[in-house]
Amino acid sequence: MALHLNLLHEEIREQRLRQRDPLKIGMMVLGGLGALMFLYYMWNAYQTLEIRNRLNTTKHDWSKVEPKVTAAQKRSAELNSIISTTKVLDKMIDSRFFWAPFLEKLSRCVALNTQLTSIDGNVLEDDKGLSIIIEGVAAGREPRSAAEELRQLLLEQLGQSYRDVKVEFKTLEDLETIAKIGGANMPTARFALSVTFVPSASTAKTSPPTERTRTSSK
Amino acid sequence: MKKINLTKDQIQKLALSSIGFVGLVYVYFHFFLGPLKTNRDSMLASITDLRNKVGSSERTMTNAATLEKQASAATTRYAALTTLNPEGAPIAWFPPRIKAFFGNQQIDKVTTRLEGNVPFKDADLSRWMQYNWVLDLPQADFALLGKAVAELENTEPLLSIKHINIHGLTDYPQYQQVSLNVATAMPKR
Repeated sequence: MALHLNLLHEEIREQRLRQRDPLKIGMMVLGGLGALMFLYYMWNAYQTLEIRNRLNTTKHDWSKVEPKVTAAQKRSAELNSIISTTKVLDKMIDSRFFWAPFLEKLSRCVALNTQLTSIDGNVLEDDKGLSIIIEGVAAGREPRSAAEELRQLLLEQLGQSYRDVKVEFKTLEDLETIAKIGGANMPTARFALSVTFVPSASTAKTSPPTERTRTSSK
Repeated sequence: MKKINLTKDQIQKLALSSIGFVGLVYVYFHFFLGPLKTNRDSMLASITDLRNKVGSSERTMTNAATLEKQASAATTRYAALTTLNPEGAPIAWFPPRIKAFFGNQQIDKVTTRLEGNVPFKDADLSRWMQYNWVLDLPQADFALLGKAVAELENTEPLLSIKHINIHGLTDYPQYQQVSLNVATAMPKR
Protein backbone atom coordinates (compact mmCIF):
# COMPACT_ATOMS: atom_id res chain seq x y z
CA MET A 1 0.00 0.00 0.00
CA ALA A 2 1.48 3.27 -1.10
CA LEU A 3 2.02 5.89 1.50
CA HIS A 4 0.04 8.97 0.73
CA LEU A 5 1.10 12.13 2.48
CA ASN A 6 -1.00 15.21 2.34
CA LEU A 7 1.37 18.05 2.86
CA LEU A 8 -1.18 20.72 1.85
CA HIS A 9 -3.90 19.69 4.25
CA GLU A 10 -4.13 23.08 5.84
CA GLU A 11 -4.57 24.87 2.50
CA ILE A 12 -7.11 22.30 1.35
CA ARG A 13 -9.01 22.72 4.61
CA GLU A 14 -9.10 26.48 4.14
CA GLN A 15 -10.21 26.08 0.53
CA ARG A 16 -13.03 23.78 1.65
CA LEU A 17 -14.01 26.22 4.30
CA ARG A 18 -14.14 29.00 1.74
CA GLN A 19 -16.19 26.82 -0.58
CA ARG A 20 -18.82 26.09 2.02
CA ASP A 21 -18.94 29.65 3.33
CA PRO A 22 -22.64 30.05 4.24
CA LEU A 23 -22.63 33.73 3.38
CA LYS A 24 -21.26 33.05 -0.04
CA ILE A 25 -23.71 30.22 -0.63
CA GLY A 26 -26.51 32.39 0.72
CA MET A 27 -25.51 35.22 -1.59
CA MET A 28 -25.51 32.87 -4.52
CA VAL A 29 -28.93 31.52 -3.60
CA LEU A 30 -30.20 35.03 -3.09
CA GLY A 31 -28.77 36.07 -6.43
CA GLY A 32 -30.48 33.15 -8.11
CA LEU A 33 -33.76 33.84 -6.42
CA GLY A 34 -33.45 37.53 -7.20
CA ALA A 35 -32.94 36.72 -10.87
CA LEU A 36 -35.99 34.48 -10.85
CA MET A 37 -38.02 37.11 -9.07
CA PHE A 38 -36.89 39.77 -11.50
CA LEU A 39 -37.94 37.59 -14.43
CA TYR A 40 -41.28 36.95 -12.80
CA TYR A 41 -41.69 40.65 -12.15
CA MET A 42 -40.89 41.48 -15.75
CA TRP A 43 -43.44 38.93 -16.90
CA ASN A 44 -46.03 40.51 -14.68
CA ALA A 45 -45.10 44.00 -15.82
CA TYR A 46 -45.49 42.88 -19.41
CA GLN A 47 -48.93 41.48 -18.66
CA THR A 48 -49.87 44.71 -16.89
CA LEU A 49 -48.81 46.73 -19.88
CA GLU A 50 -50.91 44.53 -22.09
CA ILE A 51 -53.90 45.05 -19.80
CA ARG A 52 -53.28 48.81 -19.86
CA ASN A 53 -53.40 48.71 -23.64
CA ARG A 54 -56.68 46.83 -23.49
CA LEU A 55 -58.00 49.35 -21.03
CA ASN A 56 -57.03 52.24 -23.30
CA THR A 57 -58.77 50.56 -26.23
CA THR A 58 -61.91 50.00 -24.16
CA LYS A 59 -61.79 53.59 -22.91
CA HIS A 60 -61.55 54.79 -26.46
CA ASP A 61 -64.57 52.67 -27.45
CA TRP A 62 -66.54 53.97 -24.47
CA SER A 63 -65.61 57.59 -25.19
CA LYS A 64 -67.19 57.16 -28.62
CA VAL A 65 -70.55 55.96 -27.29
CA GLU A 66 -70.62 57.77 -23.94
CA PRO A 67 -72.10 61.09 -25.19
CA LYS A 68 -74.86 59.20 -26.99
CA VAL A 69 -75.62 57.05 -23.95
CA THR A 70 -75.60 60.05 -21.61
CA ALA A 71 -77.93 61.93 -23.93
CA ALA A 72 -80.21 58.87 -24.19
CA GLN A 73 -80.30 58.47 -20.40
CA LYS A 74 -81.04 62.17 -19.94
CA ARG A 75 -83.80 62.03 -22.53
CA SER A 76 -85.25 58.88 -20.94
CA ALA A 77 -85.33 60.57 -17.54
CA GLU A 78 -86.98 63.63 -19.07
CA LEU A 79 -89.55 61.49 -20.90
CA ASN A 80 -90.33 59.49 -17.76
CA SER A 81 -90.80 62.74 -15.88
CA ILE A 82 -93.14 64.04 -18.61
CA ILE A 83 -95.12 60.79 -18.62
CA SER A 84 -95.57 60.75 -14.85
CA THR A 85 -96.42 64.47 -14.72
CA THR A 86 -98.95 64.08 -17.53
CA LYS A 87 -100.49 61.10 -15.74
CA VAL A 88 -100.87 63.09 -12.53
CA LEU A 89 -102.27 66.11 -14.40
CA ASP A 90 -104.73 63.91 -16.30
CA LYS A 91 -105.80 62.27 -13.06
CA MET A 92 -106.29 65.72 -11.56
CA ILE A 93 -108.28 66.85 -14.60
CA ASP A 94 -110.46 63.72 -14.56
CA SER A 95 -111.13 63.92 -10.85
CA ARG A 96 -112.41 67.50 -10.99
CA PHE A 97 -115.99 68.07 -9.98
CA PHE A 98 -118.03 69.64 -12.74
CA TRP A 99 -120.43 72.16 -11.28
CA ALA A 100 -122.42 72.90 -14.40
CA PRO A 101 -124.32 69.56 -14.47
CA PHE A 102 -125.11 70.00 -10.80
CA LEU A 103 -126.44 73.52 -11.38
CA GLU A 104 -128.51 72.18 -14.25
CA LYS A 105 -130.05 69.44 -12.09
CA LEU A 106 -130.69 71.90 -9.31
CA SER A 107 -132.44 74.32 -11.63
CA ARG A 108 -134.66 71.48 -12.89
CA CYS A 109 -135.71 70.58 -9.36
CA VAL A 110 -136.93 74.05 -8.44
CA ALA A 111 -140.68 74.30 -8.95
CA LEU A 112 -142.62 77.48 -9.64
CA ASN A 113 -143.69 77.85 -6.02
CA THR A 114 -140.12 77.67 -4.73
CA GLN A 115 -137.36 80.25 -4.77
CA LEU A 116 -133.73 79.64 -3.97
CA THR A 117 -132.01 82.53 -2.25
CA SER A 118 -128.57 81.11 -1.69
CA ILE A 119 -126.36 78.25 -2.80
CA ASP A 120 -123.08 77.64 -1.06
CA GLY A 121 -121.09 74.63 -2.24
CA ASN A 122 -117.72 73.28 -1.27
CA VAL A 123 -115.58 70.55 -2.78
CA LEU A 124 -114.18 68.71 0.24
CA GLU A 125 -110.50 67.82 0.43
CA ASP A 126 -109.17 64.30 -0.19
CA ASP A 127 -112.04 63.28 -2.50
CA LYS A 128 -114.50 63.26 0.36
CA GLY A 129 -117.22 64.61 -1.87
CA LEU A 130 -119.18 67.80 -1.79
CA SER A 131 -121.10 69.73 0.82
CA ILE A 132 -123.70 72.21 -0.36
CA ILE A 133 -126.09 74.42 1.61
CA ILE A 134 -129.16 75.52 -0.30
CA GLU A 135 -131.41 78.16 1.19
CA GLY A 136 -134.75 79.27 -0.16
CA VAL A 137 -138.41 80.02 0.33
CA ALA A 138 -141.31 77.74 -0.58
CA ALA A 139 -144.89 78.90 -1.02
CA GLY A 140 -148.15 77.01 -1.24
CA ARG A 141 -151.14 75.94 0.75
CA GLU A 142 -148.71 73.64 2.52
CA PRO A 143 -145.37 75.46 2.14
CA ARG A 144 -143.53 72.82 4.18
CA SER A 145 -144.75 70.17 1.73
CA ALA A 146 -143.46 72.28 -1.15
CA ALA A 147 -140.05 72.39 0.49
CA GLU A 148 -140.20 68.63 1.12
CA GLU A 149 -141.06 68.07 -2.55
CA LEU A 150 -137.92 69.97 -3.48
CA ARG A 151 -135.88 67.84 -1.07
CA GLN A 152 -137.33 64.62 -2.49
CA LEU A 153 -136.76 65.74 -6.05
CA LEU A 154 -133.19 66.74 -5.34
CA LEU A 155 -132.53 63.40 -3.67
CA GLU A 156 -133.91 61.56 -6.68
CA GLN A 157 -132.20 63.67 -9.33
CA LEU A 158 -128.80 63.83 -7.67
CA GLY A 159 -128.95 60.11 -6.86
CA GLN A 160 -128.98 59.40 -10.60
CA SER A 161 -125.52 60.91 -11.05
CA TYR A 162 -123.77 60.86 -7.72
CA ARG A 163 -123.08 58.41 -4.90
CA ASP A 164 -123.99 58.59 -1.20
CA VAL A 165 -126.43 61.43 -1.75
CA LYS A 166 -127.89 62.97 1.38
CA VAL A 167 -130.37 65.85 1.29
CA GLU A 168 -131.48 66.95 4.74
CA PHE A 169 -133.27 69.93 6.16
CA LYS A 170 -131.09 72.10 8.32
CA THR A 171 -133.99 74.45 9.03
CA LEU A 172 -137.60 74.63 7.94
CA GLU A 173 -139.73 77.34 9.45
CA ASP A 174 -142.98 79.05 8.55
CA LEU A 175 -142.88 82.71 7.60
CA GLU A 176 -145.50 85.34 8.08
CA THR A 177 -144.87 86.62 4.59
CA ILE A 178 -147.58 85.84 2.03
CA ALA A 179 -146.67 85.16 -1.59
CA LYS A 180 -149.04 85.66 -4.53
CA ILE A 181 -148.95 82.71 -6.88
CA GLY A 182 -151.39 82.51 -9.77
CA GLY A 183 -153.44 85.32 -8.24
CA ALA A 184 -153.85 83.50 -4.93
CA ASN A 185 -152.16 84.41 -1.66
CA MET A 186 -150.12 81.56 -0.26
CA PRO A 187 -148.26 81.16 3.03
CA THR A 188 -144.50 80.70 2.83
CA ALA A 189 -141.82 78.75 4.62
CA ARG A 190 -138.08 79.32 4.73
CA PHE A 191 -135.83 76.29 4.39
CA ALA A 192 -132.16 75.41 4.39
CA LEU A 193 -131.07 72.13 2.86
CA SER A 194 -127.82 70.40 3.50
CA VAL A 195 -126.74 68.38 0.47
CA THR A 196 -123.78 66.01 0.54
CA PHE A 197 -122.69 63.51 -2.07
CA VAL A 198 -119.66 61.90 -3.66
CA PRO A 199 -119.21 62.44 -7.38
CA SER A 200 -119.08 59.24 -9.44
CA ALA A 201 -115.75 58.29 -10.90
CA SER A 202 -116.88 58.68 -14.48
CA THR A 203 -118.38 62.13 -14.57
CA ALA A 204 -119.09 63.16 -18.11
CA LYS A 205 -118.05 66.47 -19.53
CA THR A 206 -120.21 69.32 -18.48
CA SER A 207 -123.17 70.61 -20.36
CA PRO A 208 -124.83 73.94 -19.74
CA PRO A 209 -128.07 74.12 -17.77
CA THR A 210 -131.15 74.38 -19.93
CA GLU A 211 -133.64 75.69 -17.46
CA ARG A 212 -133.22 78.68 -15.22
CA THR A 213 -134.12 79.06 -11.59
CA ARG A 214 -137.01 81.29 -10.88
CA THR A 215 -135.86 84.28 -9.00
CA SER A 216 -139.09 86.05 -8.18
CA SER A 217 -142.10 84.28 -6.94
CA LYS A 218 -143.15 86.56 -4.16
CA MET B 1 -26.01 11.00 8.40
CA LYS B 2 -23.07 13.32 8.48
CA LYS B 3 -23.43 16.04 11.09
CA ILE B 4 -22.59 19.53 9.83
CA ASN B 5 -20.47 21.35 12.27
CA LEU B 6 -20.85 25.10 11.84
CA THR B 7 -18.57 27.60 13.42
CA LYS B 8 -19.88 30.66 15.20
CA ASP B 9 -18.86 32.82 12.26
CA GLN B 10 -20.74 30.56 9.87
CA ILE B 11 -23.87 30.61 12.00
CA GLN B 12 -23.74 34.44 12.04
CA LYS B 13 -23.35 34.51 8.28
CA LEU B 14 -26.18 32.02 7.88
CA ALA B 15 -28.43 34.17 10.06
CA LEU B 16 -27.45 37.24 8.08
CA SER B 17 -28.26 35.47 4.83
CA SER B 18 -31.64 34.39 6.18
CA ILE B 19 -32.45 37.93 7.22
CA GLY B 20 -31.40 39.15 3.79
CA PHE B 21 -33.63 36.55 2.18
CA VAL B 22 -36.63 37.49 4.23
CA GLY B 23 -36.00 41.18 3.51
CA LEU B 24 -35.70 40.49 -0.19
CA VAL B 25 -38.95 38.54 -0.25
CA TYR B 26 -40.73 41.29 1.70
CA VAL B 27 -39.44 44.08 -0.52
CA TYR B 28 -40.23 42.10 -3.62
CA PHE B 29 -43.81 41.34 -2.72
CA HIS B 30 -44.61 44.55 -0.90
CA PHE B 31 -42.97 47.13 -3.09
CA PHE B 32 -42.80 45.49 -6.50
CA LEU B 33 -45.27 42.72 -7.10
CA GLY B 34 -48.03 44.05 -4.77
CA PRO B 35 -48.56 47.45 -6.43
CA LEU B 36 -48.32 45.84 -9.83
CA LYS B 37 -51.01 43.35 -8.93
CA THR B 38 -53.23 46.07 -7.41
CA ASN B 39 -52.80 48.17 -10.51
CA ARG B 40 -53.59 45.23 -12.73
CA ASP B 41 -56.68 44.26 -10.73
CA SER B 42 -58.03 47.81 -10.82
CA MET B 43 -57.45 48.00 -14.58
CA LEU B 44 -59.19 44.66 -15.10
CA ALA B 45 -62.13 45.90 -13.02
CA SER B 46 -62.24 49.09 -15.09
CA ILE B 47 -62.18 47.05 -18.30
CA THR B 48 -65.06 44.86 -17.09
CA ASP B 49 -67.01 47.91 -16.01
CA LEU B 50 -66.45 49.75 -19.29
CA ARG B 51 -67.27 46.66 -21.33
CA ASN B 52 -70.51 46.26 -19.39
CA LYS B 53 -71.29 49.91 -20.03
CA VAL B 54 -70.52 49.59 -23.72
CA GLY B 55 -72.61 46.41 -23.83
CA SER B 56 -75.58 48.05 -22.11
CA SER B 57 -75.25 51.30 -24.06
CA GLU B 58 -76.95 49.83 -27.10
CA ARG B 59 -79.80 48.60 -24.93
CA THR B 60 -80.05 52.01 -23.27
CA MET B 61 -80.25 53.79 -26.61
CA THR B 62 -82.79 51.29 -27.93
CA ASN B 63 -84.89 51.76 -24.80
CA ALA B 64 -84.68 55.53 -25.16
CA ALA B 65 -85.82 55.31 -28.78
CA THR B 66 -88.69 53.00 -27.82
CA LEU B 67 -89.66 55.29 -24.95
CA GLU B 68 -89.57 58.27 -27.30
CA LYS B 69 -92.14 56.52 -29.52
CA GLN B 70 -94.28 55.41 -26.60
CA ALA B 71 -94.17 58.82 -24.97
CA SER B 72 -95.20 60.73 -28.07
CA ALA B 73 -98.81 60.98 -26.85
CA ALA B 74 -97.70 62.07 -23.39
CA THR B 75 -95.27 64.67 -24.74
CA THR B 76 -97.92 66.08 -27.07
CA ARG B 77 -100.40 66.18 -24.20
CA TYR B 78 -97.84 67.77 -21.89
CA ALA B 79 -96.96 70.39 -24.48
CA ALA B 80 -100.65 71.14 -24.97
CA LEU B 81 -101.20 71.52 -21.22
CA THR B 82 -98.13 73.71 -20.87
CA THR B 83 -99.11 75.98 -23.72
CA LEU B 84 -102.44 76.65 -22.00
CA ASN B 85 -100.45 78.94 -19.75
CA PRO B 86 -98.71 81.85 -21.46
CA GLU B 87 -95.29 83.11 -20.43
CA GLY B 88 -95.10 85.63 -17.64
CA ALA B 89 -96.56 86.00 -14.17
CA PRO B 90 -100.06 84.47 -13.92
CA ILE B 91 -101.37 87.56 -12.12
CA ALA B 92 -100.58 89.50 -15.30
CA TRP B 93 -102.51 87.37 -17.76
CA PHE B 94 -105.02 85.24 -15.84
CA PRO B 95 -107.44 88.01 -14.66
CA PRO B 96 -107.67 89.57 -18.16
CA ARG B 97 -108.25 86.14 -19.66
CA ILE B 98 -111.07 85.43 -17.19
CA LYS B 99 -112.59 88.84 -17.82
CA ALA B 100 -112.52 88.24 -21.57
CA PHE B 101 -113.95 84.76 -21.08
CA PHE B 102 -116.95 85.90 -19.04
CA GLY B 103 -117.34 88.90 -21.35
CA ASN B 104 -117.80 86.44 -24.20
CA GLN B 105 -120.41 84.68 -22.06
CA GLN B 106 -122.32 87.99 -21.66
CA ILE B 107 -121.26 88.41 -18.05
CA ASP B 108 -119.43 91.69 -18.05
CA LYS B 109 -118.72 92.34 -14.41
CA VAL B 110 -115.95 90.09 -13.19
CA THR B 111 -113.22 90.65 -10.66
CA THR B 112 -110.39 88.17 -10.30
CA ARG B 113 -108.21 88.14 -7.21
CA LEU B 114 -105.21 85.97 -6.49
CA GLU B 115 -105.49 84.36 -3.07
CA GLY B 116 -102.12 82.68 -3.15
CA ASN B 117 -100.04 79.93 -4.67
CA VAL B 118 -98.77 76.73 -3.15
CA PRO B 119 -96.56 73.94 -4.48
CA PHE B 120 -98.18 70.58 -5.13
CA LYS B 121 -97.53 67.78 -2.65
CA ASP B 122 -97.06 65.28 -5.44
CA ALA B 123 -93.37 64.96 -6.37
CA ASP B 124 -94.30 64.49 -10.03
CA LEU B 125 -95.69 68.02 -10.05
CA SER B 126 -92.56 69.60 -8.62
CA ARG B 127 -92.35 71.91 -11.62
CA TRP B 128 -95.96 73.04 -11.22
CA MET B 129 -97.71 75.37 -8.80
CA GLN B 130 -101.30 75.61 -7.66
CA TYR B 131 -102.71 79.13 -7.89
CA ASN B 132 -105.88 79.90 -5.96
CA TRP B 133 -108.14 82.61 -7.30
CA VAL B 134 -111.41 84.23 -6.30
CA LEU B 135 -113.71 85.21 -9.15
CA ASP B 136 -116.41 87.69 -8.13
CA LEU B 137 -119.38 88.10 -10.42
CA PRO B 138 -121.59 90.72 -8.75
CA GLN B 139 -124.39 90.51 -11.33
CA ALA B 140 -124.90 87.26 -13.16
CA ASP B 141 -127.95 85.66 -14.69
CA PHE B 142 -128.25 82.05 -13.49
CA ALA B 143 -128.71 80.53 -16.95
CA LEU B 144 -125.80 82.48 -18.39
CA LEU B 145 -123.75 81.59 -15.34
CA GLY B 146 -124.49 77.89 -15.83
CA LYS B 147 -123.42 78.07 -19.47
CA ALA B 148 -120.34 80.04 -18.55
CA VAL B 149 -119.35 77.58 -15.83
CA ALA B 150 -119.82 74.67 -18.23
CA GLU B 151 -117.71 76.40 -20.86
CA LEU B 152 -115.07 77.32 -18.31
CA GLU B 153 -114.83 73.75 -17.03
CA ASN B 154 -114.58 72.37 -20.55
CA THR B 155 -112.08 74.86 -21.96
CA GLU B 156 -109.81 75.19 -18.93
CA PRO B 157 -108.83 71.62 -18.01
CA LEU B 158 -106.30 72.74 -15.42
CA LEU B 159 -108.89 74.80 -13.59
CA SER B 160 -111.18 73.39 -10.94
CA ILE B 161 -113.89 75.18 -8.99
CA LYS B 162 -113.43 74.45 -5.30
CA HIS B 163 -116.14 76.63 -3.86
CA ILE B 164 -119.20 78.26 -5.30
CA ASN B 165 -121.45 80.80 -3.67
CA ILE B 166 -124.61 82.15 -5.33
CA HIS B 167 -126.80 84.71 -3.65
CA GLY B 168 -129.99 86.24 -4.94
CA LEU B 169 -129.93 90.03 -5.21
CA THR B 170 -132.91 91.70 -3.53
CA ASP B 171 -132.67 94.88 -5.61
CA TYR B 172 -132.28 93.02 -8.92
CA PRO B 173 -134.10 89.72 -8.52
CA GLN B 174 -133.20 88.65 -12.05
CA TYR B 175 -129.51 88.59 -11.09
CA GLN B 176 -127.40 86.66 -8.65
CA GLN B 177 -124.20 87.58 -6.93
CA VAL B 178 -121.69 84.84 -7.53
CA SER B 179 -118.33 84.07 -6.03
CA LEU B 180 -116.15 81.24 -7.33
CA ASN B 181 -113.00 79.95 -5.68
CA VAL B 182 -110.95 78.26 -8.33
CA ALA B 183 -107.60 76.49 -8.34
CA THR B 184 -105.40 76.34 -11.40
CA ALA B 185 -102.29 74.28 -12.05
CA MET B 186 -99.60 76.30 -13.75
CA PRO B 187 -96.00 75.47 -14.58
CA LYS B 188 -93.32 77.30 -12.63
CA ARG B 189 -91.69 80.00 -14.72
